[in-house]
Amino acid sequence: MRTLTTGYLLILIVSMSAKVFGQGAPVVEGTGVDISGSWSHGGHQDAGYQTAAGALVDYGGIPMNEAGRLYALAWDASRQTLRTEQCAGYTVPYAFYSPGNYRYWEERDPYTQQLVAIHMYFQTSEVNRTIWMDGRPHPPAWAAHTFAGFSTGQWKGNVLNITTTHLKHGYVRGNGASQSDEAIVNESVIRHGDRLTYFGETIDPVWFDGPFTKTVINLRNVIDPTAWLYACEDGEEILARAETKVPQYLWGQHPYLREYADKYKVPLLGTLGGAETTQPEFMAKLKDAAATNAAAMAETVPVKGAPQQYNHETGAEPNDGEIHILPVQGNVYMLVGDGGNIAVQVGEEGAFVVDTGAGKLSDKVLAAIRTLTPRPIQFIVNTSLHSAHTGGNARLSAGGKDPSIQGSFFAGQAPREVTGFFVNVGESATLIAQNNVMIRMQDAKAPADMVPPDTYLSGRRRKWHNGEGVDMFYEPYASTDGDTIVHFRGSEVIATGDIFDMLHYPFIDFKSGGSVQGEIEALNNLLDKTVYKHDEDGGTMIIPGHGRLSDEYDLGEYRQMVSIIADRIQAAIKSGANLDQVKAARLTADYDTRFGAVSGPWTTDMFVEAVYTSLKQNTRIQSPGAR
Amino acid sequence: MISIKPATKTASFLFKGTLLVFASASLFAQGRAGRAGPPPSPQAIAPMDMTGYWVAVVVEDWRYRMLPPINITKVVAGRGGGQLGVPINAEARKVAAAWDPAKDEAAGEQCRSYGAANIMRMPGRVHITWQDDQTLKLETDAGTQTRLFHFGAPQGQGGDWQGVSQASWDTIPGGRGGGQMSGALKVVTNKLKPGYLLRNGIPYSANATVTEYYDRIDEPSGNTYLVITTTVDDPMYLTQPYLTATHFKKQADASGWNPTPCAAR
Repeated sequence: MRTLTTGYLLILIVSMSAKVFGQGAPVVEGTGVDISGSWSHGGHQDAGYQTAAGALVDYGGIPMNEAGRLYALAWDASRQTLRTEQCAGYTVPYAFYSPGNYRYWEERDPYTQQLVAIHMYFQTSEVNRTIWMDGRPHPPAWAAHTFAGFSTGQWKGNVLNITTTHLKHGYVRGNGASQSDEAIVNESVIRHGDRLTYFGETIDPVWFDGPFTKTVINLRNVIDPTAWLYACEDGEEILARAETKVPQYLWGQHPYLREYADKYKVPLLGTLGGAETTQPEFMAKLKDAAATNAAAMAETVPVKGAPQQYNHETGAEPNDGEIHILPVQGNVYMLVGDGGNIAVQVGEEGAFVVDTGAGKLSDKVLAAIRTLTPRPIQFIVNTSLHSAHTGGNARLSAGGKDPSIQGSFFAGQAPREVTGFFVNVGESATLIAQNNVMIRMQDAKAPADMVPPDTYLSGRRRKWHNGEGVDMFYEPYASTDGDTIVHFRGSEVIATGDIFDMLHYPFIDFKSGGSVQGEIEALNNLLDKTVYKHDEDGGTMIIPGHGRLSDEYDLGEYRQMVSIIADRIQAAIKSGANLDQVKAARLTADYDTRFGAVSGPWTTDMFVEAVYTSLKQNTRIQSPGAR
Repeated sequence: MISIKPATKTASFLFKGTLLVFASASLFAQGRAGRAGPPPSPQAIAPMDMTGYWVAVVVEDWRYRMLPPINITKVVAGRGGGQLGVPINAEARKVAAAWDPAKDEAAGEQCRSYGAANIMRMPGRVHITWQDDQTLKLETDAGTQTRLFHFGAPQGQGGDWQGVSQASWDTIPGGRGGGQMSGALKVVTNKLKPGYLLRNGIPYSANATVTEYYDRIDEPSGNTYLVITTTVDDPMYLTQPYLTATHFKKQADASGWNPTPCAAR
């Protein structure tokens, strides 16, 4: 028996070894080489191009499209003095251009010794990065982005191939030339002895018209460096500057447009980037600066009459008939899939819900909330009257309960036929909004069960619910005249409604009392409530009205955009331009590929008109509450 | 066997099992390489396919590569300390300061920037083929140069712009136990005619050695790149090895192939 068992086991082992050794394994199954240890920036190319370096209007070799070029041309280095910019992290591949130290180390399963992840730390901006090697999928499009992004990798022989998504907006050169938060970066780390060759390919549908590729050489540190930290804390840098002021150069008025070109004898066309500047054929164009000057100057302003650009990315607002749950942090979750984003706070009391979506998938929204808490929805706050946020009011409210008012004096109020409210008090969730939401919805003859009956007029409404303070702040005249932002203070999550929209330009509903001035004020108010965790990543998380989960940095970028566009349109108004001329000038051209739309409920033209009108009139229409 | 104590029995069992595992590994490995006959040629065991047309993607050192060269004495401070990042010594600086493209043209030496130490840095296209199963041929349209990467013993006397190049596959096993190999092409070039590390006359000497690794990168985007990591050692003009990395993008065909003669300026 023993012999038989032994023989059987041996055959099994041989058989297994044949299986292991005999597969003629494809390259991708290689376990790779070991790159653990510390490395530093090496090589002699691109002297003077390390991070935070780069002259203004020096974009040669960067395949920027019109939008990317215009973004960079508007970039004033003083923008780095804004609070949300001072400690902003570095994205890849930019982080590799830094002169600091890097460290790689492996994470292995303690039982199987399989490679789970390769971790990476960049000294500059203290980026902690994980490259997952276990085949896990990337997060959904509506998940938050970070400076390190989300990376997965695999070894192909001596080459570590990495794909990174979920990046934030970041620089590719320290002069405003940027990649957007929709960029995907494919990286290869190649080891040859004590040198690593890094190769990055950045694909950015927003600001590039071709892949941006670049190499960097790293050298192995024989002795562990002593410098690993990058202390950064934001502070007041420009004391007299108004909060709303975002430094920019107006297109066509860049005071340093030719500074680099003149200093280094580079034809202006060569300084303006574009995919063609990376091609050998471009050398011929560089031989005669005078001949290309007109073409170069044409690239420094939006092309008149060019087709309006728009964002093609829609993944962050899925339309697959399902509700998707994203844990945010603390007690708060984000539900996506039914129009506007829905925030749900859960705990020992009933659910606290911010907005109810478009109402097309309300039953699924309710089902999703039931997976988060067995308790019914108790409170629903509407951030505005917009249908993408109130469409599910009736169904979600009916599916909830508010025991806090059962048996209270509310129960004894006049019936619905008289007041429109107070029927079956407490047998549904309580709908809360700023008073103008109620009035405008009633004016619009919305069904009574969709109209928030519990309203407030100004300033702040607050509750302690599910173990944390919940603040509701009125933001007058932003998207509408009835906007509320909701701050879950313990979970440190803010739901913004349409004031902040990561898919579109802000929905400035001028007819409902919105204005660009109020919008900027609201964005600034939001920024006053946020704190980042580390180098503008994380901390206060922000659920926008539409689009992916965000944080302070994303919000700050958005605020910059709205302020910059408003300033451009204001300057155009000052020069006497009418609305048609403002639209024709394409003053949003640098952001259209990210936030623009040419169809749907909120187009770029509508946004420009709303900004123009509110600036031109410099008055707000009278809110119904003031009548 | 019966009399062996249990602990020892286990050890013996494991030992035999291990032996068999290695034996099986050996057997399986022989399935590929154990047959009699000449060793497979470098072409046959190539871990990657480098053949075809590739176009330079000019990003690194863009202005130095794309623009007409300027004498380093005229370069504005800030351009890498006046030496463009190249770790040259005082003698090299003296030579570079005396650079005069007209003199090179008059001497018929317009190709000094197109030698092995800089040719891959020139904006242009390369065409790579197997000249025979022991030799890779790399042709450039910029300067119409030809480099021959010979596997095995060095061939030729050198003394010209491209010198003598010895090639080898720098490989690691792809899968456990000898699956498909992967890795880079390593090329070591010396016996060079003195030339320029950049188009502006920064020199390298006949004693320079150029070591290159060629890695092929297939991206999820569908793009394929050739990344070349280059080290130039030159005891005469460099204070330390000069390191650069250069990349080319794979082309489907010969589009854009435009042979042009060397130009000194």
